Amino acid sequence: MAFAALDRTELLADTTLRGADFAKAHAAVLDRWLVSIFDEIFERERGVALVATGGHGRAELCPFSDLDLLLLHDGELNPDLAQQFWYPLWDAGLKVGHAVRSSRDTLLLADTDLATATSLLSLRRLAGNIDLSDSLAAAARFNWKKGAKKWLPQLADAVEARHTTSIDVAYALEPDLKEARGGLRDVHAIQWSLAALDADSGEAFDQLAVPTGHQIGRQQLVQHYNTLLAARVELHRAVRRPGDRLHLQNQDEVAARLDDDNADVLMARISSAARSIAWASDEHWFDLRRDLAGRFSRGRRRRHIGQGMDMVDGRVELADNAPLDELSVLRVGVAAATERARIGPTTLTRLHQARDIPLPWSVEARELFVALLARGDDAVPVIETLDISDLWCRLLPEWEPNRCRPQRNAYHRFTVDRHLLEAVARAADLCDRVERPDLLLLGALLHDIGKGYPGDHTVVGMGLVHDIAQRMGFNDDDTQTLVLLVEHHLLLPDIATRRDLDDPATIRWVAACSGTIERLHLLGALTEADSIATGRSAWGAWKAGLVSTLVDRAEHVLAGGEVEDVTTSSERLAVNSELMARYSAVSAPLIITDGNELTLVCGDRHGLFSRVAGVLAVCGLDVSEASAAGENGVVLDRFRVTSAFSKEISWTRVERELLRALNSRIAIESRLADRARSYRRPVEAPHFLEPKVRVLNEASENYTVIEVTGPDSIGLLYRLTRTIADLDLDIASAKVTTLGNDVVDAFYVRDQHGNKVTSPEDVTEITMALTHALRPITSTRS
Amino acid sequence: MKLITAIIKPFKLDDVKAALKAMTVEGMTVTSVEGFGRQGGHTEMYRGAEYQIDFIPKIKIEAVVADHDVARVVEAIVEAARTDKIGDGKVWITPVEGIVRIRTGERDDDAI
Repeated sequence: MAFAALDRTELLADTTLRGADFAKAHAAVLDRWLVSIFDEIFERERGVALVATGGHGRAELCPFSDLDLLLLHDGELNPDLAQQFWYPLWDAGLKVGHAVRSSRDTLLLADTDLATATSLLSLRRLAGNIDLSDSLAAAARFNWKKGAKKWLPQLADAVEARHTTSIDVAYALEPDLKEARGGLRDVHAIQWSLAALDADSGEAFDQLAVPTGHQIGRQQLVQHYNTLLAARVELHRAVRRPGDRLHLQNQDEVAARLDDDNADVLMARISSAARSIAWASDEHWFDLRRDLAGRFSRGRRRRHIGQGMDMVDGRVELADNAPLDELSVLRVGVAAATERARIGPTTLTRLHQARDIPLPWSVEARELFVALLARGDDAVPVIETLDISDLWCRLLPEWEPNRCRPQRNAYHRFTVDRHLLEAVARAADLCDRVERPDLLLLGALLHDIGKGYPGDHTVVGMGLVHDIAQRMGFNDDDTQTLVLLVEHHLLLPDIATRRDLDDPATIRWVAACSGTIERLHLLGALTEADSIATGRSAWGAWKAGLVSTLVDRAEHVLAGGEVEDVTTSSERLAVNSELMARYSAVSAPLIITDGNELTLVCGDRHGLFSRVAGVLAVCGLDVSEASAAGENGVVLDRFRVTSAFSKEISWTRVERELLRALNSRIAIESRLADRARSYRRPVEAPHFLEPKVRVLNEASENYTVIEVTGPDSIGLLYRLTRTIADLDLDIASAKVTTLGNDVVDAFYVRDQHGNKVTSPEDVTEITMALTHALRPITSTRS
Repeated sequence: MKLITAIIKPFKLDDVKAALKAMTVEGMTVTSVEGFGRQGGHTEMYRGAEYQIDFIPKIKIEAVVADHDVARVVEAIVEAARTDKIGDGKVWITPVEGIVRIRTGERDDDAI
């Protein structure tokens, strides 16, 4: 039997048809085709109907959505007919959730399975027996309502479980538009729960309120939903594959298809829509869970909590007769954070009528603000509520351009605003490390505030924070401290990972920038809070150790001590002499491995450092830190490594290869090329740092520091150090940091006479040579 | 030389074996496996929940054949294994770089 072919090319290519309109039109085209096949096969059958469920039932089909179809029958169906129906669908390449059931079987399945029960709520007849499909739809809805007590807790738990499996749509770098918090599924869950509450979905939807002066009712929620749906449709069109995750490499194309200027604009729109959906969802389930737990109080459970506020139905509310003043917002915020409760909708509306805090802020205003921040993790949902209600920006107008602002790089998990709140939460844990917790908390809140504005975010931020501090009534000294925190919030992590901590110039520089021990401690705590709030890859034991060492040494200098006290460790010197002595005794390369560290003592030769780096790369090890010391033609090299494949380093192979490289020869470059081929990344990895080579002579007294930034690749350290050796430069120490797919390498070098490299021509040549060496192995073959 | 891998319905093994013998393919390896394809392991009259995926028992046949035999061997397998129903399986071809007969040391085409 030949059927009309399914042709969707025109529809898919019509770029004016987007989002919900496309989804509907797409469903219409598919349904017409499905019905034509059904009518032909089942024309003589009475007791069968073709129904669509789930998203298909909603007439909402993205270009690669599954079809959820059910061949509904009244007890028996000729299997041949079912077969004849499905095969044209499979042959057309459609992904079909296909089922053949009687109404009875369907209802039985729905009775025990949440996914089936909810998908039936959007049941829609496409063709066939009307009575059959109508009665199933009615029965499904009836059973759902009847089983509300059973289903709603399961649904609530399912929503929560879903939220823990991916990062919120609003903050994720590559959001899952459907399943994550604030995504499409959250809206479905709200609709399903309303269907169980014996309320017509339409009316109850309108009651969903986010009091901001305007309500988020049904219309707005639908609008936010459509924003996400439109992105999903264009994502499918762009990648020509099913999927819900908006990956970085697709964001530009999806943005272009939706007429957004760039990916940042698109992601900001998505973030904003998702935040509103998440907020509405949280409000909805908060009330619903209370109802399910039997607390149907609706205004009768009222507990006074002081300062004109009550706890009503688990939310903080202003008492009816309480006066409204300029500090009410902050008082309510602090109370909500302390009680770990949500804020009542009527209160949020009333707070809009409070007047602004007069400038400069009073001590009480400042203290309340800091008290709110000090609640840490509990403050985050409160501040988000105030933000969605447009109350937060009245306290801090500079927040507004940072709302939902994406940070497109591999190591930032969150949007700018959320990152700042996370930093505050982490800083709250560290308050006992500093003399002025209030300055730490404000520093954490404001350190990236310049990102919402054009220009260098540090420079812009310094200006903004100066004004904010003055506005909040801080004295000049505190204002200077806050500005310094913004100016130097990256000082410690950058210096710790890119400079030699044993070099006096490094310590002196940090001490000079910090100015006082108090400010140094603030910077230390801010560094930790900022790094943890950035993402997993931005903080770890190694980095924490380096920063801590740096802070201790700078503190010693600020306290008046000599820098040499902390930069030359006599213990290390003793160990070094012992190793040198051992080497002299045997005159053969001495290799010592311990955990993550490799120590090599052997006769000096040109390019030794790069040779070792090459061997380590061939063995699949990444170098994070290295140092070289030497005297009388003997060098002592130390390498700290990690393996991308296992926690434990198996050193036997490394030692074997290293000895071969030192005593005879190994073809490092060829082996690295093989590795590069085997481990080639299938998708072009996104890079966020500009490739750059900097030659710095002021960073150290005795060495020239060469800082190389660029995309990571196999054997990069080997190529860079080999280039440096070819330029007749000796490497004294090296630091390697990986940031996502990029690296920052810093080398302390001297020429063969032991001098810094200062001539401009030399600097140019070094820059050129290393820029070339940055290019990955596969592209150096011309 | 090419490795031909075929996933077929278990009851079709004898038919495929006979067809291969007729093609003078004298050696093959057969394994019991489980799998599913586009239909998620469901039959045409599936009654269960949509999201469930089931593994179905299949037979995997592997044989190394000379390049000039590939086309007709694949054809023979496909013809013998087809039932026109979902779950019939797939055949695919991978290049073989070298092959040695252990007992005699014969290599490549001599070892097929």
